[in-house]
Amino acid sequence: MAYDAQEFCLRGTPICRGIAVGRLYFFDRKEGVVPDITLSPHDVEKDVIRFREALNNSKRDIKHLQSQLESEGALEAVVILDSQLIMLEDPLLTTNIEVTIRETKKNAESVFRAAIRKYQEKFDAISDPFFRDRFKDIQDISRRVMEYLNKGARVSLHDIPPGSIVFAPDFTPSEMAETKSIAVGAIVTEVGGTTSHTGIVAIAKGIPYVANVSFELIDFSQEYVVIVDGRKGEIILNPTVKTIEKYERLKIHLQSQMKGLERLCTLSAETIDGYQVRLSANIEMSHQIDLVHRYGGHGVGLFRSEYIFFPKNVIPSEEEQYRIYKRIVDRMKGRSLVIRVFDLGGDKAVPGYSMLKEGNPFLGCRAIRFLLREKEILKTQLRAVIRAGIGAPVSVLFPMVSTMTEFLEVKKIVRDTEEEFGISPKKGIRIGCMIEVPSAAIIADHLAKECDFLSIGTNDLVQYSLAIDRGNQYMASRYDPTNPSILRLIKLITSEGDQGQIPVTLCGEIAADPRFTMLLLGLGVQELSVAPRYIPIIKHAIRNTSILEAVDLAERALCSATSQEVMDLISGAYKRNVPEDYLYNC
Amino acid sequence: MFQETAENQKNKVVNKVVVRNPMGLHTRPATSIVKLLQHCKSDVYFTYKKETVNAKSILSILMLAVKQNSRITITVEGEDAPVTMEKLIQAFQKEFGD
Repeated sequence: MAYDAQEFCLRGTPICRGIAVGRLYFFDRKEGVVPDITLSPHDVEKDVIRFREALNNSKRDIKHLQSQLESEGALEAVVILDSQLIMLEDPLLTTNIEVTIRETKKNAESVFRAAIRKYQEKFDAISDPFFRDRFKDIQDISRRVMEYLNKGARVSLHDIPPGSIVFAPDFTPSEMAETKSIAVGAIVTEVGGTTSHTGIVAIAKGIPYVANVSFELIDFSQEYVVIVDGRKGEIILNPTVKTIEKYERLKIHLQSQMKGLERLCTLSAETIDGYQVRLSANIEMSHQIDLVHRYGGHGVGLFRSEYIFFPKNVIPSEEEQYRIYKRIVDRMKGRSLVIRVFDLGGDKAVPGYSMLKEGNPFLGCRAIRFLLREKEILKTQLRAVIRAGIGAPVSVLFPMVSTMTEFLEVKKIVRDTEEEFGISPKKGIRIGCMIEVPSAAIIADHLAKECDFLSIGTNDLVQYSLAIDRGNQYMASRYDPTNPSILRLIKLITSEGDQGQIPVTLCGEIAADPRFTMLLLGLGVQELSVAPRYIPIIKHAIRNTSILEAVDLAERALCSATSQEVMDLISGAYKRNVPEDYLYNC
Repeated sequence: MFQETAENQKNKVVNKVVVRNPMGLHTRPATSIVKLLQHCKSDVYFTYKKETVNAKSILSILMLAVKQNSRITITVEGEDAPVTMEKLIQAFQKEFGD
């Protein structure tokens, strides 16, 4: 580590709030995956030999480097390399590895990698930073050996040392989904945005995440200690001891704040003046339901069903889907569940389907448009949902509806499917329409007559209204959910919902930002659906709001001309109502 | 079998040394120790803070994280135990040329 290096700061778009301090880890998927193979009996000895060769080649390289350095008079470096040669003969890295290859019958690279990881953990546990840093040499030789073992090796997400600050050009939603919050301290990417699906997963997991950061000033061959301030989008490299101490303190403060909020779980989500708000959860996996119960959520306002593909990356059969949905329904213990049909296309690839070659996939064949093209996928899913939902408060939700014709078409498919099971339309499943395209917002009155509830998806609504690609690094700063045009659309939708006497839910990322809570309630949103971990903080915001004040705030916001005016208005109000929050007041 | 065990026990030497090196047993002294033991036939162990490791493994020595002025126990077991112990004690006294 460069102890004498200067502290410097980079800025990006804050995606997931939170503080992390750790070592920089550059995740480059171009390097290929380290395979994990079980060897056939006669391949075991071959792999032992392959491993010995990799060690010998590495030693030869180091000796070569030594003689080169010697001729240049860099004797200090020669001595250091001497230690590396000794390390390459260490029984822990030679005979022990060979024994393990023979015992486990696993390929050399996976055994070697596992061993190195084990030693890294041991070194990381040493309290003296001087000795902890000695791991650097081991890392160096392990890289060399791995290169010989696995030509074109690629690091997998599982290789990331615990607590690392991961820098990557980009992160896919499934990679983010795979990431364990314990293993990753924070994520920093060159592209991405708050509402990119990657961002959504990060927020759901509570992994601090800053996107749209320029990597120009970073030399990835160096080691850095990094602080990520996900509240402000700041990345501090080579922080001084003083800076580290400051952030460690802040981190502890935030942790105790979150713990304090969890105590609210048994209290209801009602405003100071007694207005009841429905507070539900957005979930991707069934196990998240436990969190919904723990935090006292009303139900699930959005189950992103496409995440059931991730484990195997195939579309499950009707039976398999039925089992998955039924398990979720049972786990809900009678609470309401909204299943959104597969939202595919755009930045989410469809397993087993080669994507259409589209110049502009976000304006192309995604979500409901894709399902109307591939009706069998839709019908299979609907059959499974309807079967699983019998006798339970389950609703089905259609994403990215842009015209009435489209909605009527999917609605007919739902009713036809129910008829197959002998279910009359009167007893049919509740059908919701997502409003995330401006055209749908504008005809919300018509849609409201045909469905049982409206669900505003602000992530896409903002993108389509402002014509800003949410993943575009050059446009990220202009992605403004506080833009008055968005507020007017939300107001329009809630008014039409009111007229049609159907409830309106809001499930975009702004629902999980407590600074927006008062504004959204004032605009007439009756239900907020957020990632489970945000239920406590939003409940706290609701409980510190009076509905009269909220309506007043919304009126002023609707009259504002710019996004900044609205932002100032809502953050000012939040600071007054909830001054003790360090996560959002900064 | 029994005889061999008895043999080995006869050739077991235990000693305590104080680490004088300013940075403790860091990479360079650890390298010297392993090099010094490369051709010895006995098994050599270091014990520090109740942990005993193979002294022929540089990684193991480093993971002990022995600081300056700490006392470690050296155990040498095998046919050249006395000579090996003698060499080690001298090396510790000379601080491995650090």
